[in-house]
Amino acid sequence: MSGLGQELGVAIVTGLLQGCVYALVALGIVLVFRASGVFNFAQAEFGTTGLFAAYAALTLWGWSYTWAIVFGLGVAVAMGLLTERLVVHPLRNASRVTVLVGTAGVALAAIGIQFWQFNETLIMTMPRIVDSLFLVPVIGAPVTVQQLITLGVLIVASVMLALFFRSPAGLTIQAAQQEPTAAELVGISVRRVSMLTWAMAALLGGLAGILSGPNLTFTAGFLSFGAGRALLPGFMAAVLAGMRSMPGAVAGGLTVGVVEQMGTLSMMIEVPGARAMLLFGFLLVVLMVKPHGIFVPRAAATA
Amino acid sequence: MSETTQVLPAVPADANDETTVVPAVEPPFRPSRAGWTARGVVWAALAWVVLALPLNILSPFEVGVTDVDVASLAVIYAIGALSLNVLLGYCGQISLGHQAFVGVGAFASAYIVTNLQLSFFLAVGVAALFGAVQAVLLGAVSLRLTGLYFALVTLAYGSFAQETLFGITSLTGGEGGKPAPRPDFFTSGYRYYYLCLGFLALVLWIDWRLTASKAGRAMAALRENPRVASSYGIDVRAYILVAFAVSGLFAGVAGSLVAHHDEVIVPSSFDFRLALLFVLMTVVGGLRSRTGVVLGAVFFALLEEGALVSMFGLEGFFEGLLGLPTEFVSLVVGPILLVLTLTLYPGGIGQQVAPIRLWLTGHRFDRHAGRVDDVEVTDVRA
Amino acid sequence: MSVLEISNLTIRFGGITALNDVSLRAGEWEIVGIIGPNGAGKTTLFNCITGFYQPTAGRVAYRGRDITGLPVHKRTALGIGRTFQNVGLVKNATVRENLATAQHLQVSYDPWAGIAGGPTTFGEERRIRERSHLILELLDLRHVGEERVADLPYGVLKKVEIAAVLATDPDLLLLDEPGSGMGPEEAHALGDTLLELRQQFGLSIVMIDHHVPLVTRVSDYVYCLNFGEVLAEGKPDDVRRHPEVARAYLGTEPEPDPASEPEPEPDPTPTLVGGTL
Repeated sequence: MSGLGQELGVAIVTGLLQGCVYALVALGIVLVFRASGVFNFAQAEFGTTGLFAAYAALTLWGWSYTWAIVFGLGVAVAMGLLTERLVVHPLRNASRVTVLVGTAGVALAAIGIQFWQFNETLIMTMPRIVDSLFLVPVIGAPVTVQQLITLGVLIVASVMLALFFRSPAGLTIQAAQQEPTAAELVGISVRRVSMLTWAMAALLGGLAGILSGPNLTFTAGFLSFGAGRALLPGFMAAVLAGMRSMPGAVAGGLTVGVVEQMGTLSMMIEVPGARAMLLFGFLLVVLMVKPHGIFVPRAAATA
Repeated sequence: MSETTQVLPAVPADANDETTVVPAVEPPFRPSRAGWTARGVVWAALAWVVLALPLNILSPFEVGVTDVDVASLAVIYAIGALSLNVLLGYCGQISLGHQAFVGVGAFASAYIVTNLQLSFFLAVGVAALFGAVQAVLLGAVSLRLTGLYFALVTLAYGSFAQETLFGITSLTGGEGGKPAPRPDFFTSGYRYYYLCLGFLALVLWIDWRLTASKAGRAMAALRENPRVASSYGIDVRAYILVAFAVSGLFAGVAGSLVAHHDEVIVPSSFDFRLALLFVLMTVVGGLRSRTGVVLGAVFFALLEEGALVSMFGLEGFFEGLLGLPTEFVSLVVGPILLVLTLTLYPGGIGQQVAPIRLWLTGHRFDRHAGRVDDVEVTDVRA
Repeated sequence: MSVLEISNLTIRFGGITALNDVSLRAGEWEIVGIIGPNGAGKTTLFNCITGFYQPTAGRVAYRGRDITGLPVHKRTALGIGRTFQNVGLVKNATVRENLATAQHLQVSYDPWAGIAGGPTTFGEERRIRERSHLILELLDLRHVGEERVADLPYGVLKKVEIAAVLATDPDLLLLDEPGSGMGPEEAHALGDTLLELRQQFGLSIVMIDHHVPLVTRVSDYVYCLNFGEVLAEGKPDDVRRHPEVARAYLGTEPEPDPASEPEPEPDPTPTLVGGTL
């Protein structure tokens, strides 16, 4: 296989797998946006917090991997609920940009706490669930089983979400978002719906963090999983989904993953920060040309 | 003094009786002589803190050079926060990539002084211009997007600037950093502090004239109600771009000053953390309140550099008791203050300080002055 | 030449035709009234005149000049002033600040000169402060000058809005339900104010309102809209008594007006000559 072709192949495979993580983040973003109209800038930090909590349980306290994951997810969900209680609910009548600033504050707080607790440890690693790697035939792209597990979790999560939104509970959430007063009048507790939504989003974020953490070394800071790496791609995926469509979020996440990987092609070596440039350029193009998203089912586009 | 109340006979109601009660217009409040003296003393104390204390003039404290450098940085951050305030406070546009505006100014200024061997003051001007141009380009993008999506664009732009633009090593010197020497007369820390103060005064002047003139009023109107603004004859799109330009100007100045303050700049200084710091300074400082924003900037600058913690001897508390190293205190305190501001004290520091500020400018002391009901980071299109 | 000439204006939103082939004109110093039930398209018409909506077809002309494609702020510059149904003011600013903002186009200095703090700025700012003062005096609003708009009662806000629109120095005033929320005496006083303003400022006024007595008293010409079309037009009294108009509002024929009832027709059946039977 030719050099460029092989590179492209590797980039695409890696991008798709990395995109699964972004898709999980995007699902959480879309969920929160549909339910509260809020851009949740803390979404990626749900992941980092979950990851660090799992790391602490596993490496520092010696828990089993399963329990560490459960703990990590639990902490992430707690963070989501805390965000809802401390920031989203008090600001429910404020402008959406104000709430955005509030969630950015939550993200910053999470980073601060990470620094507080983990600043001693410069390099942190977490073992994979199954520590095995193989190469895709022909293309020769490396794939870890961890990544495949992530893909599997993504598929399961997407299906469950799709079913959930068709269920009465899912419709309840949409009702509460679109017409809170009317929803209250028919007995839907908007408050509980809000908390449920944030818990779910935090769970998705936590999954993203815990599943992707083992693939890299991480450290407390702005460059690790959260704000530095997954936030922007996650949001871009959500934009591609028109901030509405769950399957669109998945497709968007995979797309963004691939676009990002284009920055690793050898022809891009000369370009400093190729990844950042590609993401910025791609975001601009999408927002200018198709601000309502690309992966949006026709019905939703006119809604 | 006895109080006499007279009970007037009831006026018979008459169907045609049109009595319009015009409330008496009170004469404006004027402070007494003692009041003026008290105000004068406080003004003098403030002037001493800002002008004399850092230079150890008439001061019982011993302020070292590093402390003066921190003070200079606080002043520079104040300029940066005022820059974001124009965008976020006056015009309601959220920018999460503001560090890029500052960074562009910084590298431009460093390049002009180091590579082109030109005067520092020219460099500041060019840095301001670069900041303005770049801001207007982003502003043009913002015209087509609602506030939330624009926030994403600024986020992406911030990392693009840091990694790509500042990564052009031929211009920016790569990881070794770009040297940015101070101008000849201002090489000492003390003099540089005065230089920064001078620029802060200039920026404050322009900001004051902005809000007191038609451009500022146009922005205030379009922030809240663009329809009404247009029907007042305001070209909403043009004034949004004006706001971006002014914001970029200020940011460029801050960038230039910070470059020559550090004397060597690296791309990694202009990261997302700085963007969030600017947001903290403006929001916690109090949007649209010059005093609040400056105080917020000074507070966070001092906190960042550890000066606040050492001033109040709180290292033992933070590092000992909480296990929180001084350099991360701001990361924990900042968000707490932010959430408090957004939810409970929307006017931020500016609101708390408003009674004092109004008193100092000759008004009656009113504890409830400057009440702000909500943070109102509005973009009505969002 | 008429001040305002609307020809065959049509606007469609998706499947709904909000205005259909509407034509209207207002002459110099005329007061034109627009009445019609809710949803008739009256405010939509205003939005087309002022530029908030672009019509699907038709033409809006101001003093002979086609302004159909002109942006809102440019129309204000030409002299078209407008009030809004829900009171169009900057709520978080004071009354005085609103008046100052409304004089945006009256201020002679360049915005950048203003930002830099050029010398002319200060003089101009003083001038518009004085002008605001005069306008407030005129409308008896001096005492609320420093109040925040959001804190003021609705009735006062209606007056403040008129002060603000006057500050834009209009030639043509479009008033969207100036009398809403007013009782009969207040509406009568408003009518007096409008007539006085026309006199003092040489204005032409187009006014939407539901107070039929008010509209009838002050208007020189009235249009009645219903379902986006001009149902009737003419002199106020003629329109008021038009059966279609009453049916549009009330769904019934109007009460016959005794003064205008024609003589009863003579009985055509022959009577016996010579007296009654």
